[in-house]
Amino acid sequence: MQSLRIVVVNPVAIEGDDDPAFEAQAARGKALRIGLLEAGYNIIASLPADLYLPERIAQLQPDMVIIDAESDARDVLEHVVVATRDARRPIVLFTEDAKTSSMDAAMAAGVSAYIVAGLQTARIKPVLEVALARFRQEQKLLAELSDTKLKLAERKLLDRAKGLLMDHHKLSEQEAYQKLRRLAMDKNLKLSEVAQRIIDAADLLG
Amino acid sequence: MESSNALQLDTPETPNTLVDGKRRQLLQTATLAAGASMLGLSSTATGAWAAGSDKPEKTEVKIGFIPLTDCASVVMASLLGFDKKYGIKIVLSKEASWAGVRDKLANGELDGAHVLSGLIYGVQMGIGGQKKDMAILMGLNNNGQAITLSKKLADKGAVDGPSLAKLMASDKREYTFAQTFPTGTHAMWLYYWLAANGVNPLKDAKVITVPPPQMVANMRVGNMDGFCVGEPWGHRAIVDGVGITAITTQEIWKDHPEKVLGTTAEFAAKNPNTCRALIAAVLEAGKWIDASLANKNKMAEAIADKSYVNTSKDVIDQRIMGRYQNGLGKTWDDPNYMKFYNDGLVNFPYLSDGMWFMTQHRRWGLLKTDPDYLAVAKSVSQIALYKEAATMTNTPVPKDALRTSKLMDGTVWDGKNPAAYAASFKIHA
Repeated sequence: MQSLRIVVVNPVAIEGDDDPAFEAQAARGKALRIGLLEAGYNIIASLPADLYLPERIAQLQPDMVIIDAESDARDVLEHVVVATRDARRPIVLFTEDAKTSSMDAAMAAGVSAYIVAGLQTARIKPVLEVALARFRQEQKLLAELSDTKLKLAERKLLDRAKGLLMDHHKLSEQEAYQKLRRLAMDKNLKLSEVAQRIIDAADLLG
Repeated sequence: MESSNALQLDTPETPNTLVDGKRRQLLQTATLAAGASMLGLSSTATGAWAAGSDKPEKTEVKIGFIPLTDCASVVMASLLGFDKKYGIKIVLSKEASWAGVRDKLANGELDGAHVLSGLIYGVQMGIGGQKKDMAILMGLNNNGQAITLSKKLADKGAVDGPSLAKLMASDKREYTFAQTFPTGTHAMWLYYWLAANGVNPLKDAKVITVPPPQMVANMRVGNMDGFCVGEPWGHRAIVDGVGITAITTQEIWKDHPEKVLGTTAEFAAKNPNTCRALIAAVLEAGKWIDASLANKNKMAEAIADKSYVNTSKDVIDQRIMGRYQNGLGKTWDDPNYMKFYNDGLVNFPYLSDGMWFMTQHRRWGLLKTDPDYLAVAKSVSQIALYKEAATMTNTPVPKDALRTSKLMDGTVWDGKNPAAYAASFKIHA
């Protein structure tokens, strides 16, 4: 398997900032990058969590974004998550804290995994592969769900259009369906679009 | 009276640095006051909630905060020992991001937090993250945020809303504005202000999320045209000479709700006594801050420390006393500066305030449909718990859980018809 194209997000250094929390964050970020490199990952970019982050992620199209869960960069990433609610991407958070790892539900929003102190090189690879596989699986299910919903909606349109034809032209269901299909082929439209037009026309004419 | 004892903290404590020795001394004074008042407290408390004991279920509570001036009442409740007075210990936890606060609240790693009002409703409605039933125990502050425009923009004549709109219409390019969290209060103040001036924040501008302490540095290097954030960062932009205050948030909505003390619905249900004690302790701290200029001074000194806001005291102390300047030579005394108590008006978790954030989430497309606004607000605002804590601290409670507010564009919000209000704005997503 080709190695994942990963973007690592780092906290932004503020001039003259000697906040111990920030220093700890920077140290964790460094350890994380080293861990990923040792595990043989392809870090295509190490980006600061600044205001260009959303654009850069969009340009680079990484397989995965990795970030420190305790980092201030989280808020910028939150922006990415909200802005791409309908087209999610895998995001993995590393954290030092065991409790945070129980956040299965957070993954539903685009965060694919919380990984606890997962910097042992031996663990990092399977964990990331699983996170990605899981994200893909979820995306597939979501796509299937929306596909099913769409089909159901189309089906309802088709049934209403058939009903109208049956009433107005005293057709059997089979005949109404054939008429719709012929119309769709003649006009080079989808069946559901023809159905919608018939319903619209019926609404208009009363 | 427990409150009069607590107020003895007012007596001039040489407002030098509140370094360790001093802090311990301050704490001891407060603990003594607390001890003396415990008797009075438990006698009034008996029978106040008939079922079972009023002993806090959890005596140590981990409370998260973000380095901002309005974390003050939570921090001071701990530093001055008001927590001990009510039988709990507040363990403060400095957090790096609002998203982190959100996650840690949701999974119980934090018991409560100083948090954006709008963020709590965002989680309750499952916007952009996991959906979880949340609770607002009390309001922490009103007012005290600001919208800053870059010096560069000011030099071109954009110094307030109308002049900004004019510049954006004549000098066309991409304008970038920053807020602190997608569902948070600053995003809503920024959007409301831009829209009130005829600018659609989603179509006519680029809006980005930037952590509060990074706003000024980003403006300095020309990365953004404006931002909305809590103090001390608005004032800091002026001191550093990189920005000007275009409007304060109290000019957008006088006495607007801002940060709240948030937790999960589950925590509030399981630990009502702890929650009550926590609300009472923070109420007393807010009362203490609002009581005098000397106290505000001491508060500024204390929270400027590296462990809290990590800035210089002089950046904090001007605006918390209402001494405002806009960075262009105009100075004024603002009576509607950041309040932490204001006779309890700040702290009551109004249902109408909570609903307002949902109407704005709806307006800007963060909510795709209208929720049952009132039902959601009722489940989030812990009014019953709050009222009991208010009784413990002699805090006045308003009669009505809805209030009427007039915003900058003249629109009146009274919480009565939220769906219609949300749909009434000409500029929306």
